[in-house]
Amino acid sequence: MTKEFAVPPVDFAGGSTAGANFQQRRVPTAPFQPPRPSSVSSSIPFMSFDAASAAASTPAGPFGGTIASSSSFGGGGYASFEDEEPLLDELGIRPDQIWKKTRSILNPFRINKTVHKDSDLSGPIFLYLALCLFQLLAGKIQFGVILGWVVVSSIFLYIVFNMLAGRNGNLNLHTCTSLVGYSLLPVVMLSAVSLFVPQGAGPVRFVIAAAFVLWATRACSNLVVSLADGGEEHRGLISYACFLIYTLFTLLVIF
Amino acid sequence: MYNNMGPQPGMPMHQGIPQPGMPMHPAIPQPSPSEYVQSNISRYFSDPQYYFQVNDQYVRNKLKIVLFPFLHRGHWTRISEPVGGRLSYKPPIYDINAPDLYIPLMAFGTYVVLAGLSLGLYGKFSPEALNWLFVKGMVGWFLQVMLLKISLLSLGSGEAPLLDIVAYAGYTFTGLCLAVLGKIIWGYSYYVLIPWTCLCTGVFLVKTMKRVLFAEARSYDSSRHHYLLIFVALAQFPLLIWLGNISVNWLF
Repeated sequence: MTKEFAVPPVDFAGGSTAGANFQQRRVPTAPFQPPRPSSVSSSIPFMSFDAASAAASTPAGPFGGTIASSSSFGGGGYASFEDEEPLLDELGIRPDQIWKKTRSILNPFRINKTVHKDSDLSGPIFLYLALCLFQLLAGKIQFGVILGWVVVSSIFLYIVFNMLAGRNGNLNLHTCTSLVGYSLLPVVMLSAVSLFVPQGAGPVRFVIAAAFVLWATRACSNLVVSLADGGEEHRGLISYACFLIYTLFTLLVIF
Repeated sequence: MYNNMGPQPGMPMHQGIPQPGMPMHPAIPQPSPSEYVQSNISRYFSDPQYYFQVNDQYVRNKLKIVLFPFLHRGHWTRISEPVGGRLSYKPPIYDINAPDLYIPLMAFGTYVVLAGLSLGLYGKFSPEALNWLFVKGMVGWFLQVMLLKISLLSLGSGEAPLLDIVAYAGYTFTGLCLAVLGKIIWGYSYYVLIPWTCLCTGVFLVKTMKRVLFAEARSYDSSRHHYLLIFVALAQFPLLIWLGNISVNWLF
């Protein structure tokens, strides 16, 4: 079913009877206005701490909330407290998306690339803080080191991928950093696990570390190849670069 | 002195007073600053895209050539093709003898990672030590480039592109990675692998430089050629022993 937009009538210069009929068929209305929840039109934009109007306006949901704030801006007043966007929305941090993306890394054999299509950096920051926390529990203060290495390794992967892919390589740095950051999840889990594995550098530590490194490499290289063009025929070469990156982080964890 | 091709030929020219807006001489087109920089950069760096046109099969075969140059049965010359009137070399996918930058970059990264691993196994790992190892590797690469470049310059041919020399110099890191890996697996194998690596790198560089000199040198002075090539091969020994000696103190 088509939407009926209330558009002001167009006045043709001919002014024939057909034009008049045309005009009669369309009802001239005010310019396009979004439908408002009735509660907002009843509340005075200047006073904002009325509990009744607050209780009535919040069930309208985020759509009503944003429209209310825009309409109250248009009305010439300032936005009320509960008409503002939630803080996390304003910062662009979406916890449910972060959780979905993190969960998709847990299974390295099935790649869910649709979830990673719009890249964000808040998940990687959260994973970076978790890694630094576990390193801190192990007695190593390496906040700056890990941040620097994440930045350098994402630039490295960006350069290698775009050079290998040639003319049609379109990985951009934001996506690259996002993918490298999310694929740090196995390294974070390794640092949590290695808190409980005994300290001596026995083969057990190396075997566990090797398994986690291969997991992270597979996740990262699959995501990078499936999200950006031009990488399919260079899969092995790109996954070797990812392998180097995650081995570097694992060195920090196991030594 | 004054512009005779002004826009108003009918207007009387004032003597002695320059007309506003009219140039004093026919305009010489000046290049914009970015074009100037671009043309100067492209004189020193060839297009880096050429060096990354690789695939799996090329990488495998090239590694075999670099690590065991004695076993290479084919020839060592690069295949050239006429492109747009100028003679240029075929990209690495089509020509096993063409240099590439992927293998040197990855070999350098592998060297840093393996050196960190070997430091950690001796209990001396720290992120700062890894940074110093990175610097040491960079200095080694730079020294190798200088060695090759100076030996080319002293024979009068400075026209090989810089990125070619950087690529040839970076191939030494593949043998070095093998030596460090051997040291990690079994300590005494290091004393076998390092001379082997030096020898292989020497042979590879000599064979490559011979072709480069043959293609580029203006004067063919046979004895100087050979002495310089022998010098390049012998200089690999101290360089690689220095690079292979992984310790916290990066200078030696």
